[in-house]
Amino acid sequence: MTETTDGTCFHCGETIPGDTELVLEIGGQMRAVCCSGCLAVARLIHHSGLENYYRFRQRLGSRIRPDVAARQEAWKTVDDRMSLWGTLRADGDRDLLLQTEGIRCAACAWLIRSHLERSRGVRAVQVDTATGFTRITWNPAQTRLSEIAAALFGLGYTPHLPIASEEEEGRRTVRHDSLKRVGVAGLGMMQGMMYAVGLYAGDALGISSAAKGFLTWVSLIVALPVLLYSGRPFFTGAWNGLRNSRPGMDLPVALAVALAFSASCVNFFRSQGEVWFDSVVMFIFFLSLGRHFELVLRHRNLQAGSALARLMPEWAQRLSHSGSETVPAADLALGDRVRVAIGEPFPADGALISGTTEVNEALLTGESQPRLRRQGDSVVAGTVNLSQPVEMEVTAAGNEATVSALGRLLLTAQARRPDAQGMPSWLVPVFIIAVLVAASGTWWYWHLAQPERAFPAMLAVLVASCPCALSLALPAVYSATCQRLMKAGILLTRADALHDLLRVDTVVFDKTGTLTRGYPEIQRVRLNTDRPEVDQEAVLRIAASLEAHSAHPLARAFSAGMGGAHARDVVVVPGSGLTGNVGGKIWRIGNPRFVLGDDAAGQGAVENGAIWLADEKGWCAVFELTDALRQGSRNAVRQLSSTGRDIHICSGDAEQPVAAIAGLLGIGSWQSRLGADEKLQVIRALQQEGCTVLMIGDGVNDGPVLAAADVSMTVKGAAELANSTADFILTTDSLAGVTQAFAIARQATRLVRQNLVWALVYNAGVMPLAMSGTLKPWMAALGMSLSSLLVVLNAARISRRADESSRHCALPGAQTQHS
Amino acid sequence: MNMLYVLIPLALVLLAVAAWALLWAIRSGQFDDLDSQGWSVVLDDDQKPPAEQLEAEEEKP
Repeated sequence: MTETTDGTCFHCGETIPGDTELVLEIGGQMRAVCCSGCLAVARLIHHSGLENYYRFRQRLGSRIRPDVAARQEAWKTVDDRMSLWGTLRADGDRDLLLQTEGIRCAACAWLIRSHLERSRGVRAVQVDTATGFTRITWNPAQTRLSEIAAALFGLGYTPHLPIASEEEEGRRTVRHDSLKRVGVAGLGMMQGMMYAVGLYAGDALGISSAAKGFLTWVSLIVALPVLLYSGRPFFTGAWNGLRNSRPGMDLPVALAVALAFSASCVNFFRSQGEVWFDSVVMFIFFLSLGRHFELVLRHRNLQAGSALARLMPEWAQRLSHSGSETVPAADLALGDRVRVAIGEPFPADGALISGTTEVNEALLTGESQPRLRRQGDSVVAGTVNLSQPVEMEVTAAGNEATVSALGRLLLTAQARRPDAQGMPSWLVPVFIIAVLVAASGTWWYWHLAQPERAFPAMLAVLVASCPCALSLALPAVYSATCQRLMKAGILLTRADALHDLLRVDTVVFDKTGTLTRGYPEIQRVRLNTDRPEVDQEAVLRIAASLEAHSAHPLARAFSAGMGGAHARDVVVVPGSGLTGNVGGKIWRIGNPRFVLGDDAAGQGAVENGAIWLADEKGWCAVFELTDALRQGSRNAVRQLSSTGRDIHICSGDAEQPVAAIAGLLGIGSWQSRLGADEKLQVIRALQQEGCTVLMIGDGVNDGPVLAAADVSMTVKGAAELANSTADFILTTDSLAGVTQAFAIARQATRLVRQNLVWALVYNAGVMPLAMSGTLKPWMAALGMSLSSLLVVLNAARISRRADESSRHCALPGAQTQHS
Repeated sequence: MNMLYVLIPLALVLLAVAAWALLWAIRSGQFDDLDSQGWSVVLDDDQKPPAEQLEAEEEKP
């Protein structure tokens, strides 16, 4: 029996803190986990017999949030709320759609399905891996909403309150309708083709007129539902376009289909001339199929985006006479009193009734400096409480809250999403007029020359000129690329950014939180050589026990040594340090002036961010802190500079740490102590020199710079404001996504070029054939459809390669299983 | 050849049945998740723990 000793959690892959010794047996081996949350999840998975999840998962699980219990309790308060139960089905069950955080691969979907479907009152579960939406069919009489939520929490996933689900429900119906139309058209096409073969063979080999009439009849019967059901979107689209005097691609399609069908009917009832029922059906089928692919890909992106748009807090701590309760933020009413903890956003507009705190209003003002708010001051929903827990009284809640700024942010974020229009909007009417002119010109010419060939030739022109492939060329690639990026842990919010990324010649990094992890770690411990009795382990333990009483960000550096000793009588001196009693001695820890007093200068101590520790007799140790490099940053910098791109660091941090990181990464150009507007000036100056700048940042103060840069990217854990102005959002901890984004963008641009060239060559090449009458309508329909399909399939190549790479990622996990 | 007049209408009836079945399957969401269903073949083991053991585990805490 071996133990995994690489120091990372078996469930979530995070580093296990030094003092944690949590193990459990899974798959015949002892596995170490990082926290009790992960332990509970792994134990549940093991006891439910679902260990296969660990064998086949492609990504590690997500770390269990510490506030799981509180969240789970909060769900109990909404148990009786029928509006959250989902849509009522005919059999009394409910269809509940939950957006669930933490779903990463097909194994997650299987885990959720297997576990939930065993619980009482749950009929069926479907999980959409790409978007994280979980659809649960359940019976409210047999189970409760909070029990379903608890089951998801228990597996390590976080369900969100079902508020965004209406939209998704609507999109699902649209997707179903689209698929039904494709299905009906497909069945119709297969049948129609069969009869068409009979008719063509009959033309060649001879056929009785009765049999021919019968086959044509059947073709008509099969084509009719296809035309009326599957073809309907084209007619409504064409009609809407005409009514708004903005004719779209649907017009030539609708015209071709309607003309071909009615002319076939006329010819059939006159019992002379050709029929084109097969062409009609085939045309509709391939067009619907192409559109369906595009629709599905587009919806995927929309859903991924809606998860991102959650700027408002979901839950609030409402105070009542008996205490406090957690309620959905949407429930807050005028006059409610709410407690807001440190680091949480205010759930509604209101006035502070107790406490003084600093508030981060960057979301509204774009300013990163916190503002001081006292009792009686007003606060705005969505801004973040920074320094003290406070209580507020709600003055405006729900839709009335001052969320206009949020709304604006959201709208701009959505407006910048890839649009479905592949062709520039001015080109569309020009193109359509040209097609109509060409079609009527063809008809006119043949009408004078050989009247019986006029109609088929015109039909062929209408069908052949359909710019479906052209209009699909860009959106198909963009959609597929978004999916591929998503699999690589990158969200794309602006389609053009893919193209712009390739022009980038200068990359500007923020330091804290971007190149580095954003929190301090102990780099080196210097012991006082005059004090031989102190050893490194002891001072670390003492420092940890003291710092455990501090909420200061630097205190986090010591958390690894926690648990060894206990400090009593701890006094926190803001801005300086702490004193406390550990093992019977009074210790002081903090900056040198505080720890050493007047002696500081004599010891050669300078204020360089190091933490000093002293007992009654004098100083014992100095802890030099550093902000550790983010995973993959070395690689990303090396690859970017090896491809000839200039790299700069713009940081708001002090000179010394910035220089250290720059030296570590081999970046020659760096600037420190820059405010948000100074960063902006740096970027503008670079742009004036003619550089195309990619800005990679994370903080709220990077927001304006990210917006100003030609292309912008944020890393995991970035502020919402930064994310809302970013073109790319990395969702994995590593910076490897930067180089991946470059590689994928290069591939996408190549595919777009291939698609456009193909579509243009095809349309230009086939037009003369159609006008000259050599191209039969059915050939034109087949060619057009295949050309569209080719474009979509070509675009899909980019997703397939993503699958291959994710398979490689899965290998290391598989190996540890067998070792 | 007269057989055609029987067989083709019969085929049309089958076609209608097929179309209805397809529409039903789409409506009941069978085409919503095409990724994870394939995995259940690999993931679902025949040797699940007996139900009693499961319940006992749940009652413990």
